[in-house]
Amino acid sequence: MIATIWTVFRKESQDGLRDRRTLFTILITAIAMGPVFLLLMANFVSGLEERGTRREVMVDGIGNAPELANFLQRNDFTIKPAPADYLDEIKSGRLQEAVIVIAPDFSTRFAHGDVIDVELVFDESRNDAQVSIRRAENLLHAFAKEIGITRLIARGVAPDVARVVNVERINTATPKQQGAFLLFLIPMFGLISAMIGSMSAAIDTTAGERERGSLEPLLMNPVGVGALVIGKWSAVALQSCAVLALTMFSFALAAHVVPSEKLSLLFQFGAPELSRFFAMMLPFACMIAALQMLVATYGRSYKEAQTYAGYIALVVNFVPLVTVFSAFRDAPWQLLIPALAQQMVLSRVLRGDSVSAYAYLVPGLVAVALAILFLVGLTRLLQRERIIFGR
Amino acid sequence: MIEVAHLHKSFMAASGRKRASVTAVEDVSLTADDGEITGLLGPNGAGKTTTLRMIATLVAPDRGIASVDGLHSVQNAMEVRRRLGVLSDARGLYVRLTARENIRYYGRLRGMSDAAIKDSTERLAQLIEMENLLDRRTEGFSQGERMKVAIARALVHDPQNLVLDEPSNGLDIMSTRALRDLIRRLKEQGKCILMSSHIMQEISALSDRIVVMAGGRTVAAGTAPELIEIAKARNLEDAFVALTAHASQDASPPGTRP
Repeated sequence: MIATIWTVFRKESQDGLRDRRTLFTILITAIAMGPVFLLLMANFVSGLEERGTRREVMVDGIGNAPELANFLQRNDFTIKPAPADYLDEIKSGRLQEAVIVIAPDFSTRFAHGDVIDVELVFDESRNDAQVSIRRAENLLHAFAKEIGITRLIARGVAPDVARVVNVERINTATPKQQGAFLLFLIPMFGLISAMIGSMSAAIDTTAGERERGSLEPLLMNPVGVGALVIGKWSAVALQSCAVLALTMFSFALAAHVVPSEKLSLLFQFGAPELSRFFAMMLPFACMIAALQMLVATYGRSYKEAQTYAGYIALVVNFVPLVTVFSAFRDAPWQLLIPALAQQMVLSRVLRGDSVSAYAYLVPGLVAVALAILFLVGLTRLLQRERIIFGR
Repeated sequence: MIEVAHLHKSFMAASGRKRASVTAVEDVSLTADDGEITGLLGPNGAGKTTTLRMIATLVAPDRGIASVDGLHSVQNAMEVRRRLGVLSDARGLYVRLTARENIRYYGRLRGMSDAAIKDSTERLAQLIEMENLLDRRTEGFSQGERMKVAIARALVHDPQNLVLDEPSNGLDIMSTRALRDLIRRLKEQGKCILMSSHIMQEISALSDRIVVMAGGRTVAAGTAPELIEIAKARNLEDAFVALTAHASQDASPPGTRP
C-alpha cells in the first residue's frame, strides 16, 4: 500500500514537473501576483492620502463672493477656478472634484443678510470625488456657521442659542481597519493560488487518464484503487501547497520591500502572519485538490473537466463575498464553511485582531473531513464501469 | 490457464430518454491452455472485449465464472491480476514520460525491483525491436511504436497468462510480424495466450485453437480443421460465416461496446 502510494506519487509528480509550459505559467502567476497587487494597492492608497490632505477647493465665480474668498484664504485653502465647461467635465469623469458655484448676487444678498443659494456640483458615483465633496461641504458649513455666529453676536444674542447639539466625532477604527476592503483581497489570493496550483494536475491525473485511455490499463495492475487515489492526490495536493507557499512568500517579500508607509500602517505581513496563513490555507489546499480531482473525474476529456473546474473556482471566489454583504461582520458559523472561514480568519489576522486557536482548528478539521470524503468518493467513482470504459 | 464458464453481462445503456438493459455477453464458455495460443474470433460487437474485461477482473460478471490458474476473477481479483498480462482495448501512454519510464511505472506498481524492471525492459525491447525508442518521450510516437510500449508494459512482470485484445490493431506489416514472432516465442515458453480479433487471417495464422463468438455467445471451438468440419464448410472463412450467421439469428439483441 505505502509502496504503491509512493510509486504513484513519484510518477505523477514527475509527470507534472515535465509539463513545462503549464508549470511555467503557474509559477509566473504565483510569483508575480503578490508584488503586482501590492504595487497597485500602494499606488491606490497613496493617491487617497494625497487627495485627502490637499488644501484646495474648486470654485466657479469666486469673484462674486469676496467674503467666501477671504474665509478660504484665512483657512489656508487655495482657490482653484473651475473650468468653463465644468458640468460636462464632471459628467464625463474627466474632472473628479466637487465644484462650488457662486451666483452673481452673492455679495448683495450677503450684505442684506438674506439666505444665499450656493450650488455644489459633483458626481457622487465617482469614488475618487468623495473626499473633495465632503471637503467642499464642510467648508461651506464652516463659513455659514462663522458668519451666523458673528451676526448673532452683533445682535447681542449668545451664539449657543443656535447650537442645540454639539457633535464630537470619535472614530474607533484603527488605521488597519480602515483598509478593510483591501485586506479582504489578500486572503482571496491564498484561495486562488491554491486552486491554480492544483487545477491542471487534478485534471491531468483523472480526466487526463480517461482521455488518454491510460486509466483502464492502470486499473489492471494488482493494486487497490484507494492506493492509486491517495498517491495521485498527494502529488496534486503537494503542487497546490507549493504554489500557495510560493505565492505567499513572494507576497511577504514584496510587502517587505515595497516602500509605502501607508500600506505598512494598514497591515503587517511578516513571519507571524505568514505562518498563520499557512496554518489556515494548507488544509484548504489539500481539500480543494481532492475536490478538483473528484469533479474532474466526471469529465471524459481534459476540456470537459476544465469547465467543471471553472465552476469550482467561481464558487470559491464567490463564497467569501458573503462577508461583503454582511458588512464584514463575523459569525461563528462562518468557520464551518470552507473558503469563507479562511477569508474571515485571515482578514482578522491581517487587521491585527486576536484570533483564537479554535478559529484555526475548526476550519482545519472541516477541510480534513471533506478531503477524506472526496477521496472516498473518488475511489468509488473510479470503480464504476461507466467511468473506466466510458470514453 | 484461463477458464471461463457461462459468463453473462448486461449493461444499462441510455437510449434517448429511457435507460435500457443491453446484453453484451449472453453465455460464453471457453478454455485457454498453457503453451497454446487461443484465438477469440468474432464479428464486431460479439462481446469479445467485454469477455476479456471480465477475465481481467475489471468488469464483474452478472452470472458465470472466469478463472485464471484456477483463481476466481472476483473473489481473488488481485492474485488474478498478478498472473495476467493484459493488452487492453485502451492502451494509452503517459506522453511526457519516456517509453522506459512508462514501463517502469507498471513494473513498480507490480512490486518489482528497479533492477528486475531494467532487465525485463531490455529483454522485451530486444524482442520487439524497440531499443531505440526506450529513452524517448512517447509523445509523437506512431501507432505501432505506442503499441510496442503498451505490450512491453503489459509483459514487464513476465506473466504466465496473456490476454491480448486486438493486438495487431493499427500495426503495419513489419510491426505485425514482430508481434507475431513475440507471441509465438511466448507460447514456446509455455505461456497461456488468449487473443481476440475480428480478422480471421490474424487468428488463423497464430492460433492453436479458435473460439468463435457471435451475438454474445460462444458458438464453436476447436482447431481450424475441426471448425471446418463442424460447419461442413470448404474453408475456415466459410466456416466462420456459417457459424456466426447461425448464431446471430437466434441470438438476443446484439451487444454493443459500453
